[in-house]
Amino acid sequence: MTINLNELLSALVDDELQGDELAQALTLIHSDEQFKQQWLSYQHASDILHGHSVGPQNNDLTGLIAQRLRDEPSYLLKPQAAKLSTFAPQIWKQAASLAVAASIGALAVVGVINQPDGQLVPRPQLTVAENLQPVIAARNGKRWAIGEQDIEQRLNTYLVDHNEYTGASGVFSYARVVSYDAGQ
Amino acid sequence: MDLELVQRVKAGDKKAFDVLIMKYQQRIVHVITGFVHDPVEALDVAQEAFIKAYRAIPNFRGDSAFYTWLYRIAINTAKNYLTAKARRPPAMDVDAMDATNYYDAPELKEFETPESKLVSDELQHVIHQAIESLPEDTATAIKLRELEGMSYEDISQVMDCPIGTVRSRIFRARGAIEKKIQETMKEGEQQ
Repeated sequence: MTINLNELLSALVDDELQGDELAQALTLIHSDEQFKQQWLSYQHASDILHGHSVGPQNNDLTGLIAQRLRDEPSYLLKPQAAKLSTFAPQIWKQAASLAVAASIGALAVVGVINQPDGQLVPRPQLTVAENLQPVIAARNGKRWAIGEQDIEQRLNTYLVDHNEYTGASGVFSYARVVSYDAGQ
Repeated sequence: MDLELVQRVKAGDKKAFDVLIMKYQQRIVHVITGFVHDPVEALDVAQEAFIKAYRAIPNFRGDSAFYTWLYRIAINTAKNYLTAKARRPPAMDVDAMDATNYYDAPELKEFETPESKLVSDELQHVIHQAIESLPEDTATAIKLRELEGMSYEDISQVMDCPIGTVRSRIFRARGAIEKKIQETMKEGEQQ
């Protein structure tokens, strides 16, 4: 019986225990000083062979450390819970970035081009000047053909700024939705 | 197996952490001795490193091996200790990825005292002698495990025998090695 248990301790040195056998070995080490010393002895011989230990003295730090850890809390984390707790803030952060980007994009689209039949009408401040042709843009596929260079320039500047923001916050795919031409 | 022990610690089993301490204490003390040079101070710093590891264990995600993670903590603790004592940490550093082979690092070897080197060499010699005196199958099993670092499963394939047989051969080899070490130590005490 004892031989089999010592064999278990030998396998523990080699990281070859799992599940019930590992639990059995842990119980053995913690419930019987003789088994604990036996395991330390196997471990020590292995350490010497690998050059991890320089002498015969086998300093066991567990007692001293356990004393210092007595007042420390025991953890009650489950692996899944630990993963979720780090995952959730990232989701909220990305969702917030996406919401901000979406609202800015929506405002831009509504404010600059708001015509249900695909026609753009000139904004008031752009049509008050005399002898100016109305600024007209027509939708052709994905491309808005805007007659007024100034408006197009402003729209481009806005989209460049928007892309830079989304590049930093990881919502590039959304930026492609609100941009209107890959070549611009 | 380390990962399973870590999961047990995370689930509130402090005793599982004791096993991790027992398993790695010699290595950690040895590494730290390379930095602080004083064996007694090294024990204190090692204790501190294990306490830090326990406190940080909820953040251990298993991206690296547990020992590699522990090794980094130990090195940082040793460096901080030297800085706090206004002693300059060694300029050299040992890559954490080489942690399991750190004993080969010449930078750390040079901090071994002649006495400790002598004892270490003597014990290694005794162990090798013990292995050579074993029956061939037992000697092969322990050599493949300890010197080649092979798993029981791999050894069973190489030696064409069941894993259970590998396990008992290695166990028998360990028994013989332990006996030889004890004999040598008794002889040393008598002299």
